[in-house]
Amino acid sequence: MNSIQKKILTLTTVVLVIMSVIWVALTYYNHKTQNQYNEILQRYLSMNEVTNASQEVITDLNNYMLKSTSANLERLERSKGQLLEAKVDVDTLRNQENNFTLLNYINLIDSLLETTDRFLLYHVEKDTEASAKEFTEAMRISNYISEMTLTLLDAELKTHDKFYRGIIERSGEVIKLGMWLLMLITFVLIFITYWFSLGITRPILKLTQAANELSNGRFDVEIHVETNDEIAFLARTFDRMRNNINNLISEIKNKAQLERELQENKILLQESQFRSLQSQINPHFLFNTLNTLSKKAYLEGSEETSDLLVSVAGLLRYNLKRIDRSVSLYEEVAVLRQYMDIQKARFTERIKLHMEIDEECLSIRIPALTLQPIIENAVIHAIEPREDGGVIWFRVMDEKDRITIEIEDDGMGMKEEKIKQILEECTVEMEGHSTGIGFSNVVKRLRLFYGYDDVIKIRSSSGKGTKVILHIRKEGVEKDDQAPNRR
Amino acid sequence: MDMMRVVYYKWKGINLLRKTSIFILSLTFLILCYFTFISAKKVFRSDWQLSQTMSQNEHQHRLVLITQDLETSFWDQVETGARNQALKEGASLEVWGSYGNNQEDFLEKIEIALHSKVDGIIVQGLDNDEFKNLTKIKASFYGIPIITIANDVPMSESFRRTFVGSDQYQAGRMIANELTNDMGTSGTVVLMYDSDQEYYQNQRLSGIQDVLNVYPNIKMVLAETSESREQVLTTTQDVMNLNPDVDAFIAVNANITTGLVQGISKRSQVEPYYIYSFDDGPDTLTLMKEAKLDGVVKQSPEMMGKISVQLIMDWLNGGTAPLDIEGYFTDIHFMKAVDVE
Repeated sequence: MNSIQKKILTLTTVVLVIMSVIWVALTYYNHKTQNQYNEILQRYLSMNEVTNASQEVITDLNNYMLKSTSANLERLERSKGQLLEAKVDVDTLRNQENNFTLLNYINLIDSLLETTDRFLLYHVEKDTEASAKEFTEAMRISNYISEMTLTLLDAELKTHDKFYRGIIERSGEVIKLGMWLLMLITFVLIFITYWFSLGITRPILKLTQAANELSNGRFDVEIHVETNDEIAFLARTFDRMRNNINNLISEIKNKAQLERELQENKILLQESQFRSLQSQINPHFLFNTLNTLSKKAYLEGSEETSDLLVSVAGLLRYNLKRIDRSVSLYEEVAVLRQYMDIQKARFTERIKLHMEIDEECLSIRIPALTLQPIIENAVIHAIEPREDGGVIWFRVMDEKDRITIEIEDDGMGMKEEKIKQILEECTVEMEGHSTGIGFSNVVKRLRLFYGYDDVIKIRSSSGKGTKVILHIRKEGVEKDDQAPNRR
Repeated sequence: MDMMRVVYYKWKGINLLRKTSIFILSLTFLILCYFTFISAKKVFRSDWQLSQTMSQNEHQHRLVLITQDLETSFWDQVETGARNQALKEGASLEVWGSYGNNQEDFLEKIEIALHSKVDGIIVQGLDNDEFKNLTKIKASFYGIPIITIANDVPMSESFRRTFVGSDQYQAGRMIANELTNDMGTSGTVVLMYDSDQEYYQNQRLSGIQDVLNVYPNIKMVLAETSESREQVLTTTQDVMNLNPDVDAFIAVNANITTGLVQGISKRSQVEPYYIYSFDDGPDTLTLMKEAKLDGVVKQSPEMMGKISVQLIMDWLNGGTAPLDIEGYFTDIHFMKAVDVE
């Protein structure tokens, strides 16, 4: 798992490693410098040691000359040994620059030792004069040694002058290096830290933005965080939550839509019922009266009037009863016939009705009082205004998966606007409807009943007539009473 | 469409800004890296080694050239000749000595050289007991060969192997001959010399005397003086007081030339006198250029240095011919002030 913790640890480790490298390098440098100083100092000390040792020899020599005890002799031997050691030390210091002088130096030491030996020899032989001479000689040589030590040290200083300058220059350079290094590291660290923090804060910012969008009610923006740490996990979870909420909301919306449609349906129904109630003010009285009038007309031998009155009565009854129910096409067609009988009685020869009905199709369900308003519309617009009357065709055809009902007239046609208004279910004031049910009411009910919009089509051309076509799909429409507008 | 374009340009602008800042950042990074690297290279470069230590076995003959007059033009030339020869022979040579004829220092240097057991000593001869003592006893004790250069001390007194330098007797003759050429065969000549009476000085003196004795009209005045300048000045004055008709001066010892010329110029013009000297003094050549000297005997110092090193190396390497006891004489010639200009 590549977590934020791991990232922080990595950064810290990198910084630590850099620091360690610098520390090691500086320590190494320091160590080296110190070694160099030490080596040079060691050279000086070795040379100085020779001077000291030679002076020690002289002192011991003097002591021995004054007081020839074995203790003094032993001391003299010891200091001689020291001088020899110092000589061996100094011998390692030879280099190109001081070769000549150093060889002289070593030989001087040898001479001193030899002179000392000679002194001892003469001393043992009690040759006082000779031994005193050798002592003087030794002293002189010792002085020369001291002088030459100074010369050598001077030469050393000259030789190492460049070296010292180098060291000083270098220590200045170390400070410069430190500054450059500091700047470089600062730069790199700032950059890395910025980049690193961006890696953490950017997903968080994205998350914040997403949360903001969510709180503003936009649930359709996907949250996408492309890192591989905890925040990505958070983002994924958050996204899932957003999805769930989104789904819930759309579900609720769907339900609300359904509810609204249902409500509308109800209102439509109530409107129809209200209108039918309005026309029910005296329906039974009217109905009974019409029946009585029919019988009376029949008894008085006016059969035609009697039939007409029966038709009116039938239409009235149908109208009273069937507004909130689906009926079979057969019943609807029967009502249509009765209505047309009445209209024929009114317009006599001016109206011609052609009916072509496929009997097979009459069992299909259809909302009550849908065809009658359409025919009535045709009568009002195609027959009434014309003196020579008009023709109305009514066809019911079986077209395999659907049934087509056409109502055609040869009137003056309908305007485009009006067709649009009707199909968009605007309430249009329709003049002179007998049942009080308008065309748009019919359209609405048809669409609600069948559940699809293209159930009705209107084709019209000016001066040639209007054709209203209903397509009723056989599938999906139950032949019994299970349509949605049923209670 | 316009909206799209605006968005595009905005995007392009942001992209450009981003590119520029990335470029600047990279540049800064690279510059910092470069300087850090340069600095680190300077700090950690590896010339830590001190001068190379020498292997113990490497053996070179160590020669010392010791003079009394370091950094005079004469001895500088000797040194040049010697150094060049030493380089050629693969010997290491050091030039020691005293400044301004400091004899004590000079002798001490010889003693140090002996105690240091160098392989050979080339030394300017000094005709006194201490020098002889050192060269005779100490040098033979350590078995170190000594060659005298420029100024000789006889073999019998110094045990030197040989001498390299001018034939001082001939030099004396040469200067005297020049004098008679310039001055003519009559006049008074002051011969001024160092009271130390060194061997080479006596040789010159006898050379001069041998020539001038031939001419009866030439009167020689011998003026002995010590080397200190005051003494030289006084002596000059005294001589001139005693011999007002003096015509010529010869500084037999080149070291007293300066004092002599100064002494004369204190009293009168320098020009009328014939003044001669030798070239191994500290400022003989300067005086020549100033035309205060009329002529000097010019020796071949570079040759001396060269031959002396050659001979001692020959001897150390067990050379074929034994060294000539009498010495090896180098070329001398007379140089007049006119030639210098």
